[in-house]
Amino acid sequence: MGIKLENVTKIYTTGEVETYAVKNINLQVDNGQFIVLLGPSGSGKSTLLNVVSGLDNPTSGMIQIDDDLVSAMDSKQLTKFRRDNLGFIFQQYNLLQTLSVKENVEVGREVSTNPFTVEEVLSQVGLTPQTDKYPYQLSGGEQQRVSIARAVVKNPKIMFCDEPTGALDEETAKEVLGVLQKLNQTYQTTVVLITHNPSIGAMADRIIKLNSGEVIEDIINKNKVDAKEISWG
Amino acid sequence: MLFKNVFRTLKKQKVQLILLGLIITLSSFIFTSMNYGIGGILTPTKQYFEEANQEDFSISMMDYLLEDDVLYMQEQCILSTEVYTLSSLRNIDKPCYDKMIAFRLDTILKEYPNINIELREHKDLFYNVDGTSHKVRFLKETSNINTSYFVEGVAPSNGAEIAVSEIYAKLNNLVIGDTIDFNGKNYQISGYVLFPDYSLVILSSDLIFDNRAQTLALVSDDEFEALNATVGVEIAGDLFNMSKSDFESIVLDNYRDNTNLPFITNIVLTENNMRSGAIYGEIEGGQAMSLGISIMIASIAILIVRIMVSKVLHSQRGPIGILKSMGYKNSEITVPYIFFIMIMSFPMLVFGYFLGYIAAEPFKNMYLLIYLLPSTAIEQTVTTFITAVIVPFTFIVVVSYFIIKKILSQKPVELLNPQVSASANWLTKIVGKYLKKLKITSKLQHLLLYRNIVKFFVFLIGMFYAAFLILLSFSMIGVFDRMIVDYYENTNHNYIGYCDYVSSCTPLEGTQEGVIELPSVIMNDEEIYLVGLSPDSVIHPIYDKRGRVITSELEDGIIITKSLSLVKGFGVGDDVIIGVGDQEISFKIVAIAEEYSGEKAYINITTLSQTLTNTDNYYNTVYSETALNEVDFFIVVSTIDIVKQTQSMQQMINIAVGLLIVVSIVIGAVIIYILTVLTIEDNFYNISLFKVMGYNNKEIDKMILGGYLVYGISIFLITMPLAYFTFEYLQVFFAQYYNVLMPFEFKLWHGAMALVIYVVLFYAGAFSAKRHLNNISLQEAMKMYQV
Ligand SMILES: Nc1ncnc2c1ncn2[C@@H]1O[C@H](COP(=O)(O)OP(=O)(O)OP(=O)(O)O)[C@@H](O)[C@H]1O
Ligand SMILES: [Mg+2]
Repeated sequence: MGIKLENVTKIYTTGEVETYAVKNINLQVDNGQFIVLLGPSGSGKSTLLNVVSGLDNPTSGMIQIDDDLVSAMDSKQLTKFRRDNLGFIFQQYNLLQTLSVKENVEVGREVSTNPFTVEEVLSQVGLTPQTDKYPYQLSGGEQQRVSIARAVVKNPKIMFCDEPTGALDEETAKEVLGVLQKLNQTYQTTVVLITHNPSIGAMADRIIKLNSGEVIEDIINKNKVDAKEISWG
Repeated sequence: MLFKNVFRTLKKQKVQLILLGLIITLSSFIFTSMNYGIGGILTPTKQYFEEANQEDFSISMMDYLLEDDVLYMQEQCILSTEVYTLSSLRNIDKPCYDKMIAFRLDTILKEYPNINIELREHKDLFYNVDGTSHKVRFLKETSNINTSYFVEGVAPSNGAEIAVSEIYAKLNNLVIGDTIDFNGKNYQISGYVLFPDYSLVILSSDLIFDNRAQTLALVSDDEFEALNATVGVEIAGDLFNMSKSDFESIVLDNYRDNTNLPFITNIVLTENNMRSGAIYGEIEGGQAMSLGISIMIASIAILIVRIMVSKVLHSQRGPIGILKSMGYKNSEITVPYIFFIMIMSFPMLVFGYFLGYIAAEPFKNMYLLIYLLPSTAIEQTVTTFITAVIVPFTFIVVVSYFIIKKILSQKPVELLNPQVSASANWLTKIVGKYLKKLKITSKLQHLLLYRNIVKFFVFLIGMFYAAFLILLSFSMIGVFDRMIVDYYENTNHNYIGYCDYVSSCTPLEGTQEGVIELPSVIMNDEEIYLVGLSPDSVIHPIYDKRGRVITSELEDGIIITKSLSLVKGFGVGDDVIIGVGDQEISFKIVAIAEEYSGEKAYINITTLSQTLTNTDNYYNTVYSETALNEVDFFIVVSTIDIVKQTQSMQQMINIAVGLLIVVSIVIGAVIIYILTVLTIEDNFYNISLFKVMGYNNKEIDKMILGGYLVYGISIFLITMPLAYFTFEYLQVFFAQYYNVLMPFEFKLWHGAMALVIYVVLFYAGAFSAKRHLNNISLQEAMKMYQV
């Protein structure tokens, strides 16, 4: 069934000004798909992702993931829901500095009921040699891969990624995207990925373009390419 | 895993944690030692006061025989000579004296039939023991009120036996069965005695409780009669059929206006009576104070916990946001922090508790150096343990829990996106406006501080606390010297000769001066010690607060001591009426002498002499620089001895006060240090960022440290006048409510010293924090910053 949005709106009010960050969005996403959300800065991508994933509440509208009505949950239920179903990756890696790579991944594993092993996930993201290093001893791309491992190890149904490659160079970015693609294929994890970079759309099953809080284009990509083959814009 | 994270994060803050542990330990230590120390006295004391039937009030009466007395006396007795005072009557005609006393007691009971009263007689004698002068107050056994209480041994059964106070025996290396030689008269010690109307031995107006050189003593009735000394009388009372409030309204408020009772000079409730009741205020005050101090210290500890925890949480807000987005519950994130706070504070509290338990015994003994009270061995109680350990423990844990909960209650998005919460607040907005014209670096100096209002206030309040504590400690330096020693050192009357009541005083020689000392005079309804002194006196100059000699102002009115002013609330300019004998004279108070020598008033001797004798040159006491001939006087007191005794006895007290001073300064210093380190580390990212942008160390110091230093110093400067007024107020408060004099002193160098301490600690903290920061390379620093 997947993710279903009906008339979802998010309004930010600062002082007198009301900003429609997300405006009346209707969407349906199938399980196991690799979705890319595209759009210029300020178009509402992050807001949409936060609202869909239950990190923030919509102002109005209905959000349903599989059989769960996310928009009707209180914060306790949301916590439980995220714990069981979701993984997150952000542009900032947000690793715990005092913990080693392996330990950081274990933090993700502990909340899960049917997790993968740390070793397996670390080898999937190609960090087996770095297992015992600390975050400050890693490169940016490696740190991002740790945060992916941390999100994946719990075996989430959906991965939400907000600009995971925003801080990385082309080579490293492709490696990270490759990891995500592999996870999507190996575990049938739904991936929702936000980016500025239109060329990343080439690896998606579906590309949704936003502008001023509204969906302006919704494309099914028939010629999905491998992350390595993306021609970087 | 989260446990590991918290553990490793906290490990980096070793120094702060150790200091925090120190503070937590202190809080339970102070409470436990004082609580057990005082408790070891309080419990047996209650029983003692009960068993020995401590008086509820005490009545002082005039030694002079008044009109009614004389009429009654002429009716009842046949006397060969003229007698003016009860004490001399007692020497001349004991049966007549007994009748006169019975007459007065009956008069009182007629007015107030619902009380019980009993005569309390004493005789004071001075002995020379191994070169020092010992004072002994002999008391007679009473039948109902204030009966003697034996700590050990038995009452004297014949004239050759004596019971003394245990502390006197101990300090003079005597035990029961030993013989004391009082000027050739030998007594064998039969036991250690206490009298419930004397928890302090007050034998003169100055507050010297040197129990090595003074004791209360019980002898057989016959021996008491045989003692060659003037008797002192007092009436002890028992609220037998009357409530205390009735007594206050019916008796206390009215006795002075009762024309049937002109011979009563004063009635004091025991709790207001220094000699018998000081212990109440002292013990209650002591317990309240110990609780107060430890609560204060515990709240400082919580303040520090708050800063440290929120600092840790803020530096990890990004990761915490991720944890929350992954579905970690708040409780799962909180538990490790609470767990570590628990395992850190509990052992510290227990450690402090046991240290306090060990220190309670010496602490108790210090009390017993001054107070004459029974004591028991110190036993641990569950209540004390709970108050010293469990209560602060719960307090710390619960408060920490709420602090963490509050931080975690933010939504994950807010934690992940710093602009939401770290945005400009009202304070930065307001201040920003005023600082518009400044250079951006100077502006930052202030804005960095205001960024987090709570932290900024914690910084200010913490600094205020520290400044206050340090100033308070300084002001206590020499408190007890000021109370007694200073007075005698500033004057030249090394010997005081009290003339015999009956015969007149010997003529003055050399630089000797004659003065009139009247120990119990009523001034505006208050009992005071009146001293008639010459305005030209050289031997006994009077000083004001600034150290100027103001003796000559006696020409214009009376000068009162600081003690009298504080305790009874008199001030310069007050018009007062002094009752001398049966005359009343009115005066203006012209000055306050910087003296804590008792509740004294100085008056021009000529005026006093005129009032008493209609002559200009009466005196009853001789002040002398050189030794006086003992045979010429009733008693000769050496102030040099007094000073010596006081100094040795007060060594203990000075050590205690010194400890208190050190502890307060340490706490103050810890606060300054921790706050500095924490606030500077708070700017960790800013420092790195400025470095990356190319600012040099000096500029960064100015921006980051400069602000804090300016505000810290300002707080110190503001605290000084505040502290000054608080101390003045505290003095009055203690004096009027507890009859305790606390001559706090505020001097400019205290302020300067406090500032120096502050600046030094600030730079020490800043230096250590920065060294820690410098150890991390810039690119790592930028990576580590999580938001
Ligand atoms: N907390 C907030 N308060 C007020 N307005 C906000 C808040 N967060 C976002 N907005 C506004 O909502 C709109 C959408 O913001 P959003 O962060 O979703 O954009 P985005 O598409 O993710 O942009 P970018 O690619 O730059 O990350 C913007 O106009 C932004 O200013
Ligand atoms: Mg965004």
